[in-house]
Amino acid sequence: MNTTPTLSQEAAAERFARRVSARLTDGSQDLPYDISERLRASRMQALARRKVLAPVRAPARAAAPVVLAGGASAALGGGGSEGNSWWNALVSAVPLIALVVGLFFISTVQDEFGANEIAEVDAALLTDELPPEAYSDPGFVQFLKTAAQNH
Amino acid sequence: MATEQELSDFLKSVEKRAFKRSVYHVRNEEAALDIVQDSMLKLAEHYGDKPAAELPMLFQRILSNCTLDWFRRQKTRNALFSSMSDFEGPGEDGMDFDLLEAYSGPDDGDKAESAEDLTRRAQTFHQIEAEIEELPARQREAFLMRYWEEMDVSETAAAMGCSEGSVKTHCFRAIQTLSKALKAKGIEL
Repeated sequence: MNTTPTLSQEAAAERFARRVSARLTDGSQDLPYDISERLRASRMQALARRKVLAPVRAPARAAAPVVLAGGASAALGGGGSEGNSWWNALVSAVPLIALVVGLFFISTVQDEFGANEIAEVDAALLTDELPPEAYSDPGFVQFLKTAAQNH
Repeated sequence: MATEQELSDFLKSVEKRAFKRSVYHVRNEEAALDIVQDSMLKLAEHYGDKPAAELPMLFQRILSNCTLDWFRRQKTRNALFSSMSDFEGPGEDGMDFDLLEAYSGPDDGDKAESAEDLTRRAQTFHQIEAEIEELPARQREAFLMRYWEEMDVSETAAAMGCSEGSVKTHCFRAIQTLSKALKAKGIEL
């Protein structure tokens, strides 16, 4: 007894509800300008947020560019994994070691040159006809001075 | 996965209805705009990678949750500042009434139909809106999702977190109440 009236009631209710919805849809199309604009701004903001998070949400596809970017920064800045840290430290110390070795080499060469010059002077003194003791004689020294002034 | 264009088209298609639904629930345009904005952001941030077909359902659920959150916040605030809100009550009502009156002005001028038809249609629309606002919250939610958002019973039940039988009952009662109220005002649809 209740089945048929319920079905017809439901059908009538459905039709009424559709008509109410149609009126609501018509009336809701013309929202004030400021509200439409704020809704548009909200939509744009939401879309912008989606852009930022899109690569994070697809790890399998986004992995390659991320790794490439990481590799580039590692090569330049030394921000690699833990296993490579000692190697990066060693590589970054090479210029310092080269500088120290270079300074040591220059210092050694300078010392050698200095020693050679002194040795040459000594050799010249020792191989000269004049004995080295003559340079300690005040008269001879005076003779050398006046000879230098005359020339 | 929904493309950016699909997501944009979807949001564009639902934003006005979502705003009006929120207004019916919270009766405050600023709050309704905030709720819609929050819902859009949450959808894009958390579910932007979902297929386009799943977006309507997800958005309705998010919108409902954001509306509930707003009511919870209001409840807390009202509990804290009850005496202050009682004092401000009459003034707020007056403001709402003035705003609604101000709306119908520009709407009348925009359309090319006769002024009489337009006025009658606008009046009917506002009366329907007023009656929908008067419905109990669950009935209103079920009715709007089921018929305005054109979701089926199972989708509405999932979005509302209740059984399909409850959705049918809420919808039927809402229709009965609306029908009686509109008939009493002499409105035939």
